[in-house]
Amino acid sequence: MVNFTIDQLRGIMDKKNNIRNMSVIAHVDHGKSTLTDSLVAAAGIIAMENAGDARLTDTRADEQERCITIKSTGISLYFSFPDELGLPKEAVGRDFLVNLIDSPGHVDFSSEVTAALRVTDGALVVVDCVEGVCVQTETVLRQALAERIMPVMTINKLDRAFLELQLEPEDMYQNFCRVIENANVIMATYQDDALGDVQVFPEKGKIAFSAGLHGWAFTLTRFARMYAKKFKVDTDKMVERLWGDSFFDRENKKWVKKEKPGLSRAFCEFIIKPVKKIIELAMSNKTADLDKLLTSLDIKLSADDKQLQQKPLMKRVLQKWLPADQALLEMMVLHLPSPAQAQKYRAELLYQGAIDDAAGTGIKNCDPNGPLMLYVSKMVPSTDKGRFIAFGRVFSGTVKSGQKVRIMGPNYEPGSKKDLFVKSIQRTLLMMGRRVEAVESVPCGNTVGLVGLDQYLVKSGTLTDLDDALPLKDMKYSVSPVVRVAVEPKNPSDIAKLVEGLKRLSKSDPLVQTSIEESGEHIIAGAGELHLEICLKDLREDFMNGAEIRVSTPVVSYRETVGGIMDAERNGVCLSKSPNKHNRLYIYAEPFPENLAEAIEDGKIGPRDDAKARSKLLRDEFGMSEDAAKKIWCFGPDTTGANLLMDRTKAVQYLNEIKDSCVGAFQWATKEGVLCEENMRGVSFNILDVTLHADAIHRGGGQIIPTCRRALYGAQLMADPKIQEPIYLAEIQAPETVSGSIWSVVTLKRGHVFEEVPRPGTPMVNLKAYLPVAESFGFTAELRKATSGQAFPQCVFDHWELMSGKPLEDGDRVNKIVKDTRIRKGLKENVPGIDHFFDKL
Amino acid sequence: MLYFIGLGLGDERDISLKGLDAVRSCSRVYLESYTSVLPGVDKKALEKLYGKEITIADREFVEEKAEEIIDGSDTDNVAFLVVGDPFGATTHTDLWMRARERHIPTETIHNASIMNAIGVCGLQLYRYGEAVSIALFTENWRPDSWYDKIKANMKLGLHTLCLLDIKVKEPSLEALARGKKVYEKPRFMTIPEAIEQLLEVESKRTEKVYGEDTFCVGLARVGGSDQLVASGTMRSLREYEFGGPLHSLVIPGEMHFLEEQFVRSFSVED
Repeated sequence: MVNFTIDQLRGIMDKKNNIRNMSVIAHVDHGKSTLTDSLVAAAGIIAMENAGDARLTDTRADEQERCITIKSTGISLYFSFPDELGLPKEAVGRDFLVNLIDSPGHVDFSSEVTAALRVTDGALVVVDCVEGVCVQTETVLRQALAERIMPVMTINKLDRAFLELQLEPEDMYQNFCRVIENANVIMATYQDDALGDVQVFPEKGKIAFSAGLHGWAFTLTRFARMYAKKFKVDTDKMVERLWGDSFFDRENKKWVKKEKPGLSRAFCEFIIKPVKKIIELAMSNKTADLDKLLTSLDIKLSADDKQLQQKPLMKRVLQKWLPADQALLEMMVLHLPSPAQAQKYRAELLYQGAIDDAAGTGIKNCDPNGPLMLYVSKMVPSTDKGRFIAFGRVFSGTVKSGQKVRIMGPNYEPGSKKDLFVKSIQRTLLMMGRRVEAVESVPCGNTVGLVGLDQYLVKSGTLTDLDDALPLKDMKYSVSPVVRVAVEPKNPSDIAKLVEGLKRLSKSDPLVQTSIEESGEHIIAGAGELHLEICLKDLREDFMNGAEIRVSTPVVSYRETVGGIMDAERNGVCLSKSPNKHNRLYIYAEPFPENLAEAIEDGKIGPRDDAKARSKLLRDEFGMSEDAAKKIWCFGPDTTGANLLMDRTKAVQYLNEIKDSCVGAFQWATKEGVLCEENMRGVSFNILDVTLHADAIHRGGGQIIPTCRRALYGAQLMADPKIQEPIYLAEIQAPETVSGSIWSVVTLKRGHVFEEVPRPGTPMVNLKAYLPVAESFGFTAELRKATSGQAFPQCVFDHWELMSGKPLEDGDRVNKIVKDTRIRKGLKENVPGIDHFFDKL
Repeated sequence: MLYFIGLGLGDERDISLKGLDAVRSCSRVYLESYTSVLPGVDKKALEKLYGKEITIADREFVEEKAEEIIDGSDTDNVAFLVVGDPFGATTHTDLWMRARERHIPTETIHNASIMNAIGVCGLQLYRYGEAVSIALFTENWRPDSWYDKIKANMKLGLHTLCLLDIKVKEPSLEALARGKKVYEKPRFMTIPEAIEQLLEVESKRTEKVYGEDTFCVGLARVGGSDQLVASGTMRSLREYEFGGPLHSLVIPGEMHFLEEQFVRSFSVED
C-alpha cells in the first residue's frame, strides 16, 4: 500500500465523489479501535507489525490502559483502490480519501458517537460474532439512521470463533445468520425512507467478516472473484452461490439449493474450511503442508515471515491472503455514499433554514464554491495545553486559513447578535489521529480541524461566511447528564484553577455540564458513574495541572412538574401585582398532555417549527385545544425545554411590550422551579389576563419581570406541584443460572425487570430493567457481587418518572428530596408559601 | 399626619415655607429618590437646611416597604419628600391610598413640577396634549406606544411634553428574572438619545408624525440655576450638548405667532 504525502491528500479533497466520511460504531469491546488500526496501518501511517496492538485512535493514555475508547478521534486516510476491482461510476480516478472517526462503545460516552455521526455519511457497524447484537449496537444504529447515515457491517472477532470456541463451520454460519438477522430487525425498525434500503446482506456486499486483532477480513466478493475463474461464472453469480442455502455437489459437479446429507454449504465449504485449514496448519507448525497450500493460493511469504511460528505465522499468512484493509475498503468505497451523494438527502435534515436558499442549496449540491457552511461537532484538546481545536465538517463552500467567519453557537437566534461572533480562523488542519497537519484550505465534503476559535465556541456550532445563513441543526443526544457531583479544591487557593479547569472540561466533552450553585458549589453533571469518573480524572490531571480536588458523593437531577387540579382556569389562577401596583398578571399552570414532553425533548416539536403545522400537530396528536395550540409564546428553559408559556389573554393593549419581560421571567422560572430550583418539565403556563399601566415607563422589565416570576411560581404551587426522577434502562447479560440473583438486586434498588430473553444457542439471557438513577450508584458492583462477577449491566438514561408523594408535606419521602436539594443549594430549607407569590385583589 | 411635600425643581431652597414648617414638625423624613433628582444637591444640604435627618427612599423601599413609612404616622408626623410636585406623576398614589385605607390623615403640600415649569419654553400650558414617557430602549425591549400618543396630539395641533427615562438604582433584568437584585449604574436619558429613539420609531412606522426637520425644544435642569433651553430641528438638537441631567423634550403642535417668537429666541441654529 502507498505511503502518501499531505499534498496528495489535499489534492483528493477536491474530488467530492472520491471521499468517504465514515464512523466506526459498535457496542463496547467489539473491536472497533483494533479494526480501525488495520485500516490505518494500510494507509501507511503505522508499520504493519504493530497493527492490532497500537490503538492509534486511542489518543489518551487511559484509553490505552483500559482498552476502551473514550473520545471519538478523527483520522484522514488515503487509499489507492486496487486495479482489479470495479469502481463506483461517479468516482474520478482510483485514489480515495477516507475520513474515518473511531468512536467509543460504552453507553456513558454515546454523546461522542452523536458528534461523530453528525460529520460522517456512512457507518461501519462492528459486531462481535460471539456476543452478537448488543444494547449499544442498537442504540448507535438507531442514532445513525436518525441522522441518515448509511450503515455497512462487519462481523468481527472471527479469530474467537476459530480458536477459542472452535465452532464447526455450519454452526459458525448459523451464528452469523442470527447476528445479521438481529441487525436487520433494528434497521427495519428505524428505517428512514429518504435513505432507501438500509438492510445489510453478505451477498449484497454490505457485510464483511473480520478478525481485527489479526488484521484479516473478507467479503463474499473476495472469494467469489477467486472461485469465479475456477467455476467459469460471473463474480456476481458466484457471490450469490456463496451465501444462503446453496450447496455444491462434488460428485455430480452441480450446484443445488436443497440441503442433502453429505453436502456441505458453499459458504462453509469454500470459505470457512480453507481459512480453518490455514489456521490449523499454522498453529500446529506444519510448515511443509502450509507451504504447499500457500503456493496453490498464490501467497508468497518472505524469508523473515517463514521464521515465524504458530500464532504470528497464522496472523501473517492470513494478513497476506485476506488483508483487512482491502476487504473493508472495498466495502466502504462501493457501498457507502460519497458526500456528494449523501448531502442530497441529508441537507433538509441538517439545515434549519429553507432548503432552497443559498446556504441550503450549497449544502445540497456539496458545492465547494458555495457559501461556507461548516458544523463544529466537538472540541478536541490540542497539544498546546489549555487550547482546543474545533473539529467539524465542511458541508458547503471551502474553509481557508485566515478566513473571517460568522460563528453561530447553539443559542444563536436568527437576526440577533446573541451567541454570535465574527472572527478569523487562524489555521485549518487535517486530523491524523494523534497528529495534525496544517493545510491552506479544506473544501466541502471533508472533516477539518480549526485553530483559534476555542474562545467563541463552547461545544458545538455553525460557521458561515453568509450574513443571512441560518445555523445547522444542533445535535440531539441520546443520553442526559442526570448524575452530578460537587467538586472543590483541596487547597482553597486552587479555586481559580478549578474554575478554569471546569471551563475547559465543559469544552472537551460534548455532554458534560458544569455550573455553580447558589451555595457556591461547583457542579459537574454527566451521564453515569463511568462518565463522571473520566471527567473528574481529566479535570484533575489535564485541566488543573494535577491540583487535588475533593468530590462529593453523586447526586441525581430531578425535574419539577405539576399534577394539575380540576378547573385550573378558575381555581388555580395566581394573581401577582407589580411592585408599583400599577400592573397585574393572572397566570395558571397545567400539566402537559401525555407524551408531549418527550416529543419536545426528541425535537419532534420545537420553537422553530412552522406555527401552523405545529398547532395542527398539537391539536391532533396531543389533544391540545385549538385555542391553546396557536398561542405558544415560547418554550423553556433555554428556549427549547419542555415547558410552554401561552398567551390566553383577550384583547390586551400593549401586550407585545411586556412579552420579552414575561419570556425572560419564564426562562429562569422553568430553569429553577419553586420547589428546589431544579428544571421544570411538562408544565404549560397560561397567561389568562393582564392589566397594565398606560405609560411604558411604569411597565418596564423592572416592574414586569419580578411580577411574572412570582405569578409563575404561584401558579406552580397552586397546581399540585410534583417531582420527577430519572430512570435508567439497564441491560444485563448473564448466564441464566444467576438470573434470580439479578432480579433480587434490581428489586432491592426500587427497579423492576420487564424483559428476560434467552440468547439462542448460548446459556445466556438478556435482561432489561428500569432502575432509578438515584439507586444506581454502586449497582454494578453489587450486581457483580451477587452473581460472582457474571453479570455486567449497561445503564442508559431512559425516561423521567413521576414520583408519588407530596413534596410539600413534612416527613414525606419526596419532601425530604426537596429539602435536601434546597439545603445543598444553599436555599432556605422550606419551600416558600403561596402568600409570597399571590397578591389579593 | 403623613405629609406629601413637593420640593420643587431647583435646589433645597425651593421648598415652600409651609412645606418647611411641616418638615420641621416631623419625627421621620423620607426623600423619594427615583422618579426625579435635584440636580447637584445632596442629602446633606437638605438635612442642614431642614435641621432633620433624612432617609433616602429608593424604588424598592417605596414599593416594598410602604408600610414602614406609614407605620406610626397616625401619632407622629411623617414627611415624604418628592422632587417636583407629589402628584406630578402617577407613582405615589399607592402610598397615599394605603394611608387612606388605614385612616391616617394625609396632607399634600404642592410645588412646581416639570408639568407646569415647562411653560418656561414659551409654549402655552393649556395647549399641551397627553404627556409621554420615553423609556430607554434595551436590546429587545423597545416600547413605542408613545408614537400613537404623539400622533394623536399632533392631529389636534397640541404640544407634546416628552419626559425622558431615568434609572437611578435599577436592578439588571437578567438578575431580576432569577429573583435576585444586582444594580446597574444610574442612567439618565439625554435629549440626543431621545431624538435617536424617536427617529428610529418614525423610520419603522413611517406615518410621518415627525421627522429630522421637525422643530422642537429641549430643556435641561429646568428650575435650576443653570437651566438651559434650546430649540431647533431634531437634526440640530441631536448634535447639541445639553450637559447634566435632567432633560425634557417638547414637540410643538400648531404654534401661535407669539409662542413661535418666544420659542425661536432659544434657537441653536444660525
